[in-house]
Amino acid sequence: MKFVVIGGDAAGMSAASRAKRNDSGLAVTVLERSTTVSYSA
Amino acid sequence: MVRTADVFRKKSGIDVRTEHQAEHIDLSEGLVSGHTREGKRFELPFDRLLIATGADPIVPARPGFDLPGVMVVKTLDDAQAIKERITSHPVKRALILGMGYIAMEMAEALRERGIEVAMAKPRARLLPWLPEELAQRVGEELAAHQVALHTVFSVDHIEERGNHLAAVSASGDRLEADLVVVAIGVTPNSRLARDAGLALGPADAIAVDRQMRTSDDRIYAAGDCADAFHVVTGERVWIPLALRANRAGWAVADHLCGREVSLQGVVGSAVFKVFDLEVARTGLTAAEASEAGFDAATVTIKASSKAHSMPGASPILVHMVGDRRSGRLLGAQMVGREGAAHRINTAAVALHAAMTVAQFSESDLAYAPPFGPTWDPLLVGANQLIKAMK
Repeated sequence: MKFVVIGGDAAGMSAASRAKRNDSGLAVTVLERSTTVSYSA
Repeated sequence: MVRTADVFRKKSGIDVRTEHQAEHIDLSEGLVSGHTREGKRFELPFDRLLIATGADPIVPARPGFDLPGVMVVKTLDDAQAIKERITSHPVKRALILGMGYIAMEMAEALRERGIEVAMAKPRARLLPWLPEELAQRVGEELAAHQVALHTVFSVDHIEERGNHLAAVSASGDRLEADLVVVAIGVTPNSRLARDAGLALGPADAIAVDRQMRTSDDRIYAAGDCADAFHVVTGERVWIPLALRANRAGWAVADHLCGREVSLQGVVGSAVFKVFDLEVARTGLTAAEASEAGFDAATVTIKASSKAHSMPGASPILVHMVGDRRSGRLLGAQMVGREGAAHRINTAAVALHAAMTVAQFSESDLAYAPPFGPTWDPLLVGANQLIKAMK
């Protein structure tokens, strides 16, 4: 399954990290407009 | 802690694509498209999509807000840019537009660098969500740290004269500064969702259910761009704060992987520090309670942060709101030099549990002289509120 996240902020990166931990077979892509993704995990 | 995109790529196996601006969601094809910073077009298919586009600082569409030296503050990058500006340009005086918590945190940071600080806002009341007596205490704290407050000051435009800036009101009043920080609020970044035809909620935040699904069930939204249910009123609200953003992100990940998820919502708990003062709130203010249809009773009490015999004890002002009809606790606000910020969490949990004020007043709260009086300030407030609700 392809999971795409728009926005690498707290919510986006929390979801991306946990989705990958829940299911390592998941294809997770994060699209971030700035040069950095930020905060926690 | 800040993690770099590289750590996410290598350690977590997440395909992080920075400098990728998503511009369009095609619901029928299941595609996201946009441009990279270099101008290259991209298109990406999805089975499930999360919109986590955050909130953007509001910048008035008035002349002069694009001048160098006029800077918004919201993100880590913004704060860094302000720091660099101060280092590269002599800043003797700063003007902060807005008096919310980000504005106050900026005031403190700038004062610590020895910069003169003035703050301006169009409306008359400082922190209108705080009861007058508590807001006044915050005003005194700002004054004690030489922060000048200009309420009822609407900026018509900002002009540059030599190296100096001036915010000018419609009536021609001027506030001069070397740096203007714009911290008047944020607005949800929901354009992508709106353009795709997804339903919006309060303040045009993206409407989501308890599973963080938008009106299209392949598409989630979470973080500062999305709304939430208020636990006390049951209504949709837009209260963009960090814990909810992180928790909503987790909920999306779990729901996506087939786990059962149902988030209760938020009670609007928030704390901030302004110089030596802690300001905290949870739940509804009296005005919000009345607006939501409750028969609001309120009480304001002054208690001590420690047992009176302890050195360094300082007053805590506690305001509490209850509903006369149901007896329910609806909200609490607190201000004090210590013991206010974390104490609010007790009331927050009571709100999640839908406790009555009477039930709350029977809570067995911890006591030892260095941490509070025998009767915790919240219990003193609850006992008084019971009387006020009769």
